Amino acid sequence: MGSEQPFKIAVSDDALALLKRKLNDTRLPDEVNAAEWAYGAPLADIKRLANRWKDGYDWRTHERKLNALPMFTRTIEVDGFGELNVHYVHQKSTAKGAIPLLFVHGWPGCFLEVTKVLPLLKAVSADHPSFHVIAPSLPGYAWSEAVLKKGFNAKHYAELFNKLMISLGYTEYVTQGGDWGHILTLTAASLYGPKHVKASLTNMPICEPPTFGTPIVLLQCLIASFTSREREAVAASQDFFKSGMGYFREQSTKPQTLGFSLADSPVGLLAWIYEKLVTWTDSYPWTDDEVLTWISIYWFSRAGPAASVRIYYEIGDAVVGFPKTTIPVGLSFFPKELARFPKVLLRSKGRIVFESEHEAGGHFAAYEQPEALVGDLRKMFGKSGPAAGVVSGCDGY
Amino acid sequence: MTSEQPFKIAVPDDALALLKRKLDDTRLPDEVNAAKWAYGAPLADIRRLVTRWRDGYDWRTHERELNALPMFTRTIAVDGFGELSVHYVHQKSATKGAIPLLFVHGWPGSFLEVTKVLPLLASVSEDHPSFHVVAPSLPGYAWSEGVLEKGFNAKHYAELFHKLMISLGYTEYVTQGGNWGHILALTTASLYGPMHVKASHTNSPVCEPPTFFGSPILLLKYWITSFTSREREAASITENFFKNGMGYYAEQTTKPQTIGYSLADSPVGLLAWIYEKLITWTDAYPWTDDEILTWISIYWFSRAGPAASVRIYYELTLSGEVIVFPKTAVPVGLSFFPKDVVQSPKVLLRSKGRIVFESEHKVGGIFAAYEQPEALVGDLRKMFGKSGPAAGVVPRCTGY
Repeated sequence: MGSEQPFKIAVSDDALALLKRKLNDTRLPDEVNAAEWAYGAPLADIKRLANRWKDGYDWRTHERKLNALPMFTRTIEVDGFGELNVHYVHQKSTAKGAIPLLFVHGWPGCFLEVTKVLPLLKAVSADHPSFHVIAPSLPGYAWSEAVLKKGFNAKHYAELFNKLMISLGYTEYVTQGGDWGHILTLTAASLYGPKHVKASLTNMPICEPPTFGTPIVLLQCLIASFTSREREAVAASQDFFKSGMGYFREQSTKPQTLGFSLADSPVGLLAWIYEKLVTWTDSYPWTDDEVLTWISIYWFSRAGPAASVRIYYEIGDAVVGFPKTTIPVGLSFFPKELARFPKVLLRSKGRIVFESEHEAGGHFAAYEQPEALVGDLRKMFGKSGPAAGVVSGCDGY
Repeated sequence: MTSEQPFKIAVPDDALALLKRKLDDTRLPDEVNAAKWAYGAPLADIRRLVTRWRDGYDWRTHERELNALPMFTRTIAVDGFGELSVHYVHQKSATKGAIPLLFVHGWPGSFLEVTKVLPLLASVSEDHPSFHVVAPSLPGYAWSEGVLEKGFNAKHYAELFHKLMISLGYTEYVTQGGNWGHILALTTASLYGPMHVKASHTNSPVCEPPTFFGSPILLLKYWITSFTSREREAASITENFFKNGMGYYAEQTTKPQTIGYSLADSPVGLLAWIYEKLITWTDAYPWTDDEILTWISIYWFSRAGPAASVRIYYELTLSGEVIVFPKTAVPVGLSFFPKDVVQSPKVLLRSKGRIVFESEHKVGGIFAAYEQPEALVGDLRKMFGKSGPAAGVVPRCTGY
């Protein structure tokens, strides 16, 4: 394993020029009258964003800001897959006993999701624990190398993360994840806990594979035991299963076909991801430049945008699951998460030591509700928390 | 309704120049090693096609060839949707008593699908019937205007087709369709037969809506045990399609606008999206590169743009129930092609209408009229010919 290399994003002028040319030649579709969000991303939004991207949005400014983050790359070997170059954010706390935290994003997320929680996790105080934070970009995302061999599945991600943490000197650590991060961190906990992974907090608590056959049936069976709040959330889940799974079906079966569009069309990529940035969040007040920076990371990624959707093909079946773990697990419930699973079911899936129900926030919890999510981590791992001191010698203070 | 206008495709030079610029700046993805078709359209195929499209493929040549077809436009009013300009092929047989035939394509098809059967259907002989052929482009396809009001449903398509036939002087006619054409032509027969639609033929016989949540796989497995080996093979093809081949369907039925941005903006994106079906839904059809590129170019240069073409999936599913095999009172014919993607059990299909004709083929997929023109026309000739089960359904238009 190569030693850590500091990393700075440096998109080439050629790449910027190509994007500009493509944006100048954008051909937009028409739209059904009064479509709003019913048919997908609204034309008015995409037109506005594409125009901004073409004239006004300055990538170099945002690139500079991102380069202020403590970013690195290092080569990690994964059995059967050779060496993979991994891009990650690594922020150390000044507290000697800070808790090492592995933060794992999903799709259409990226390392940007950790940026708002970084200062909060780093903060040192007598009143709450402090954390060292390691936030890798999944292979094929941002500046992590993609896997070009078939069959890279959840256990390989777990191996990659565990080796990354160990290579950074963290032989014991805790994890936080949502979206793919949920299943991948819990897989790591399953395979490398309790020896290395000491505890996990998920902000997308889901379990049981909802086969395409019966997600609604399953949920309906369980409705009788729900609180009214859960019933509301379950109704929203049904909407998601009914009309929100197109991306999932395509990405889990024909990622390459879709990939040609995502790689070639800035506005196509923009629409594909923007639709989720808005529908999967809880009225998050995106600015146009915020959206465009998020999309640009996909556009300028090392492996290109097509690589990012292959995870659905390789492990689509496993995504809704709750691997068996023996370590303490925490569940953070955010009201606008895509799918709500009954607490009674989730509690049977592991040693659930912490639960937190929030009033605001959606799928990208760390980005939408950084204080709330860090609040959960502090409660779970703090002095009197249910997972206090799980990491030997790193109580957070 | 305004009178028929002859139609010639005339893509502006600007549009050609834009396509060229985009093709020049194509950015291709990488690919998983030894992916072949497992992950979708293979990179090598798409790269080769893009290269040809950029340098070598000459749209104007193919435009000229297409303009030799008898094409027209006319405005049809559909209740609640105002007037729609419809592009269609209209070929009359030399025989006065030819049978008027409405031919309806689907997705990702187009009026190109009728081109190979046209000469066969028009052919005059004592030994087989002749047909007048009317092949409209669905609204939002090729040079038919797109519908920009919500809720354009199967019955509206039927109304459109029916009014088109009537406006052309065909008060009584028969229908042929596959893919969406199966549903839309049978809907037309359901609503306008037997008074106007006298019989229907389908080359993608399917019944029961394939929903995501109604356990299609379980249902199929239940049926498998009672079937012949051919039926078991059909069930297996169908199951595989539901499991691995419905990504496009899931996106198009729920977020057609989102995928529409890619299809409208990216030639290679559109190419891959459709090419994947042109290969996987056909039976080893020996496509030439230029054949594919012409097929894709029709979508690229279409009047409404490619995004319009996928809205039919949304309108006919989320906004209401699709009746996959509408109830009809007319004679129906079924042609089975082995590489059709959804193959329903014959025993079920036979319960769906007055099935007077069945034909099982050994070769062919979804685009039957294009892949197997002689076979499909053979079926129509048998069904409607002198001693056929639907002989003389159209009074005074027996085909001879």
